Amino acid sequence: MDKSMEKVDIIKLLLYLLIFIVVSLFMILIVIVPNIKEYRVSKSVYKKAFVHKMRVQNVLTDRDNELRDLSAKNRRAINSFVHKFSTDNFIKYAGKFFNEVSLVEVEKKEYKKEFIEYELRVSSSLKSPTNFYKFLEGLNRYENIIQADFPIKMESNESKISSAFTIKVYDINATK
Amino acid sequence: MRNSFIIPRKKYLFSMFTKVWLIFIISIVVLLNVFNLFVVYKNSDYIETAVKTKNERIKLEKEIDDIDEKIGFILRQKAVAEEIYANNTILKDSMKNLFDLVPDQITLNKIIMKKDSLIIYGVTPTKDTYDFLLAAPLKSIFHTSEAIFYLTDSGWFNFVSTNKIINPEGSE
Repeated sequence: MDKSMEKVDIIKLLLYLLIFIVVSLFMILIVIVPNIKEYRVSKSVYKKAFVHKMRVQNVLTDRDNELRDLSAKNRRAINSFVHKFSTDNFIKYAGKFFNEVSLVEVEKKEYKKEFIEYELRVSSSLKSPTNFYKFLEGLNRYENIIQADFPIKMESNESKISSAFTIKVYDINATK
Repeated sequence: MRNSFIIPRKKYLFSMFTKVWLIFIISIVVLLNVFNLFVVYKNSDYIETAVKTKNERIKLEKEIDDIDEKIGFILRQKAVAEEIYANNTILKDSMKNLFDLVPDQITLNKIIMKKDSLIIYGVTPTKDTYDFLLAAPLKSIFHTSEAIFYLTDSGWFNFVSTNKIINPEGSE
């Protein structure tokens, strides 16, 4: 029978204890501690990255809400810019206020980089200047962004007033 | 032939005491290694997740830039639309003011309205009527206001009134 457990050899015990302590210390100090240090560093890097991402995420949410809000509030202006200008529709609209409406395109140029400005000359006749005011009032609710502009010429001919004026139609510059 | 009185004891490579210690030391080494592997795994996992999070953040920042661009464009569209609507309202008010300015005694035949000038052709019963009822308000609006009169067969006066606003920055 093995009686090593009954008669403990103190020298052996101390030797094993020493081996145990050396191996354990080696594992802890040389292998585990540096890895734990790296782990702590990478954990703090991750936490910083996470916090930074969350802040950016919050900013994105705010901006997204702002964009939706702005789009909703300015839907009419946005749609008006996107809406393709139709001479037929404009003549139809102007026909509510004037008679014998005709349109001639004068110029097409860039306006503030992102927009295109079409200049057209409108010739028409009207019964009373009040129709002209009503036309200008309605222009701000028209399907396109249109500005009535100078020069404006009005001349009375017997029962009616012939008029000629400029309109500027604004579209999005698709090339920008 | 048997030369000993005792039965020989079995000899082991390692005694029981040594085996216990070896098992104990190996177990501790294994446990520490398992713990170390766990730390290494978590470490690489954090590094990987941090890189992923950073890339996601860069993507979100790009989205913010795109949204900012869209917001800027909407604001510019809004500004242009408001400016145009305001110009239309100003033009309407200017036209209304002009026609309100003309007294009943004077008849207008023709008007040419430019950005910085107004030319009015009309008929007035007397020069004084024109001077008191139309010239005075015109002079308060425009920097220069001149009128030329022609006597008609009926004894009234045809007039051409030229009114100008002198813009020091130049008309644009």
